[in-house]
Amino acid sequence: MTDYWLSKLFYDLHNDETLAAEYRADMTAVLARYEIKPEIRTALLADDVATLAPLVNAYLLRFYFQVRRMPQHEFIAKLNALGDKNKTVSAPMSTTHG
Amino acid sequence: MASLVGAFAAIHSPIIARNWDVMPAGHRAKLTSAFDEVGRRLRACRADLLVVVSPDHWVNFFIDNMPAVCIGIGDEHGGPPEPFMRKHFPRDQLKGHAAFGRHLLNTALDHDFEPALSHRMKLDHGTCIPLWRTGVEPEMPIVPIIINDVEEPMPSIRRCLAWGKLLRQAIDSYGEPLRVAVLGTGGLSHSIGETTMGWIDEDFDHACIRHFEDGEETRLAAFLTQALPRTGNGAHEIRDWVVAHAAAGSRGFELIDYFPSPETLVGAGFASWKVN
Repeated sequence: MTDYWLSKLFYDLHNDETLAAEYRADMTAVLARYEIKPEIRTALLADDVATLAPLVNAYLLRFYFQVRRMPQHEFIAKLNALGDKNKTVSAPMSTTHG
Repeated sequence: MASLVGAFAAIHSPIIARNWDVMPAGHRAKLTSAFDEVGRRLRACRADLLVVVSPDHWVNFFIDNMPAVCIGIGDEHGGPPEPFMRKHFPRDQLKGHAAFGRHLLNTALDHDFEPALSHRMKLDHGTCIPLWRTGVEPEMPIVPIIINDVEEPMPSIRRCLAWGKLLRQAIDSYGEPLRVAVLGTGGLSHSIGETTMGWIDEDFDHACIRHFEDGEETRLAAFLTQALPRTGNGAHEIRDWVVAHAAAGSRGFELIDYFPSPETLVGAGFASWKVN
């Protein structure tokens, strides 16, 4: 189920470097400008990939964790842990952000 | 009259730009070789205009308003807004071709297609990585066709075939002697932001290549319609190849190269279609 305001936050962060820097410096201040549900806010503050993933477009999820500067291998590992073990992920993985 | 002089496909993984300087040299050389060959063929066909078919990676459109297809009809377009593109492709503007863009738009409307239009689109890495790596001259006018490959529901493969034919009709009916090339970008298999992220579905990729080589539209459409929901979300960009395929007359293509590229998270495919 798509969460509109979470999607909007991710879209804005993806397209506004100044906002992204502000978000990294003070997440709560930026989150206060969006109608983010309390449980989603908690997930954002915890970098909880599992909770956020079903709520937004997968590309926006990736862009968000690039803004958060989560290393790509860590982001991929968190996603893979949620998924289909029969689909083999090719190695090697890049180590850049997102 | 204008004529179609070439149709090509190439990947556009953003990691190509992000990691270009730190990528293992052997892999960078493989990518360079494949892009160079696409670039060589593109230059050889002496195009006056390049129609680039690609997705929008959430820089122009959001779920507030997400067109299935958008045609850039401006005399200029914005360069890639992503910070990671600045080092390798530091262009704020790309030249457009308003006259052909508008002709394509009018041809579409005359044939009961209703695309969105843009007088100035931001052209993200999906368009600009292939332009950068194939060495397309900065003066080459670009007419972008953006297909929604990123957010469900997306245009059917049948409709993308129809769009390719319509594009060809627009080229063939344009009143000036323009030499037009088409470049479909993206693919092949990849999985982005999903639980399968990192998965390169080589079975899908090889089947895809066989169908494009075979050329036959009904089989291609049946295969993709059945297979796309079962592979990674990035493979939806194959729609851009399908448009190029149909524009070229669906007579099969020549694979320039294919290799799984875990370094860039995609099944790396490069091709040119038979257009004569």
